[in-house]
Amino acid sequence: MTRMRTESLGGARALVLHRPHPATQPLLRQLHVIGLEAREAWPELPAEAVTADFVFYDADMAHDGQFPWAPGASPMPMIALIGSEAPGRLRWAMTMGAHAQLLKPVSGSGVYAALLVARSNFDRTIEASARITDLERRLSARQTIVQAVMIFVLRGKSQSEAYELLRHTATAWRVTIEEAAERLVASHSSESPADDSKRVDQS
Amino acid sequence: MRRDVAIGILHSASGPYTALAMVARAGILRGVAEVNADPSRDLSFTVHDRDPEGRLDRYAPLCRDLLQEKGLRHIFGCITSSSRKEVIPELERHDGVLWYSAPYEGFEASAQVAYMHSCPNQHLLPLLDWAMPRFGRRVCLVGSNYIWGWEIAQIARERILACGGQILSDRYLPIGDTALDHIIAEMRALRPDFIVNSLIGQSSYTFLARLAELRTEPGAETAAANGSAPALPVLSCNFTEGEIADAGPAAEGLIAAGPHFETGADGLGSIGEMSRLAVLELADLLQGKPGAEDLPMVELLAQAARQGHRSRLDGENQHARQPVVVAELRDGRFQEILRLPERAADPYWTRREAPVPARPVLRVVP
Repeated sequence: MTRMRTESLGGARALVLHRPHPATQPLLRQLHVIGLEAREAWPELPAEAVTADFVFYDADMAHDGQFPWAPGASPMPMIALIGSEAPGRLRWAMTMGAHAQLLKPVSGSGVYAALLVARSNFDRTIEASARITDLERRLSARQTIVQAVMIFVLRGKSQSEAYELLRHTATAWRVTIEEAAERLVASHSSESPADDSKRVDQS
Repeated sequence: MRRDVAIGILHSASGPYTALAMVARAGILRGVAEVNADPSRDLSFTVHDRDPEGRLDRYAPLCRDLLQEKGLRHIFGCITSSSRKEVIPELERHDGVLWYSAPYEGFEASAQVAYMHSCPNQHLLPLLDWAMPRFGRRVCLVGSNYIWGWEIAQIARERILACGGQILSDRYLPIGDTALDHIIAEMRALRPDFIVNSLIGQSSYTFLARLAELRTEPGAETAAANGSAPALPVLSCNFTEGEIADAGPAAEGLIAAGPHFETGADGLGSIGEMSRLAVLELADLLQGKPGAEDLPMVELLAQAARQGHRSRLDGENQHARQPVVVAELRDGRFQEILRLPERAADPYWTRREAPVPARPVLRVVP
């Protein structure tokens, strides 16, 4: 997944969370030259920051409270502006979720690369966490699948017959196997164990 | 009372791209001679010449020497992007300015560089936009295996695909290599509507010669007879006047794009002409402002803008506005076939949707 293609950096909006300082002036110039709308913000990120395309932040003096999102949960690529290389500050910068970094004083070179690297890392992170969420959901559904299979087994099917039946049910309902299992288990537990068998088998 | 301003030259008198570097140097010296002979100027230039001999590791020390020992600010030089990248850190350290007058691939805008030739939105893109409706959209890309070849191919690919075209092949050859059999075989088999050639030097000349042979094969004649378009047209953004003799008659019909083409017999060519104009541009910026030669480039341009001087250089990205000229090589000379108004450079290709403002067509008169 790529949010923007290489060429469409034009008109993207960047916020620079840094106190006004000569060390960051070349950054603003370069962002402007590249074609972005760049704005400085200090000490707070404004509310509209959540819609910015990129956020640059001071790794030396900034702190959690200046961001309208939880550490590591920025809705856009973040680029750390690093001055001090003290481990504590670097750890904080990483916790905030740096997708790329620039060293202060910032010169013109490196800004374009930082934008592209940050966006690529951000996209990859989003993609990876979507995959993880999906895998976690499927993992937790495994127990439900076992329960659904057991419903059929209790009605005299073999384990592999029961699993096949579950698969066919899912196909017939046009849902994932995890979802079919969830429905079967739900309807099974809502009914009396004595007379539910026919209904499930018919479906 | 004229003041004296020292400037540096950093061009290689030996090495693989000497021909281009010496044309650039001739253009600089011509510009300097014009300034020094002009009674309306209040300054004269003194030149300090340094020769990196085409060796990449010589550029930074010689640049430093000019900035530190000679105490000057303005250096005219560099042909390749790699040599330009070498000197930028030195320029940053001493707040110097490199006046760079070769075509390049874009994706840079250093505050220490004045970019005086064209970048892709001023050469490649208008060339493709001109070629696709005429020749078709099935395209082969050929280039030398370094940043210029790669980036030109990448930009051409994006533009051609966006226009509904097709990239039939994309090939790179080591610089200086002339082993072209497989590429020629591919051209014979694919019969592209046109070829974007970013090969440099001997590779390019050999490629053009082999293509000329290929055009005389029976299949090519048929293709040419079917439409008005020539068989296997070749487009280039790096072929310049200085190479016409080396490439020989095989280069006939080559179509090039750039800010300027020498239609006469003994001009400087586009790199020389852009180098000459760079010297005149600096002289204009310094005119009537003693001490301005020590200002950082950003300041110099801002001051000129405040005083109403309209520089060809953009105050932000420091790239020159350039006309777009498409020319075809006929009888050993470039013939202009299209001239578009001056347009601003878009080095990062981010303003592609913005319409180009109409401006009067300006002819560069040497």
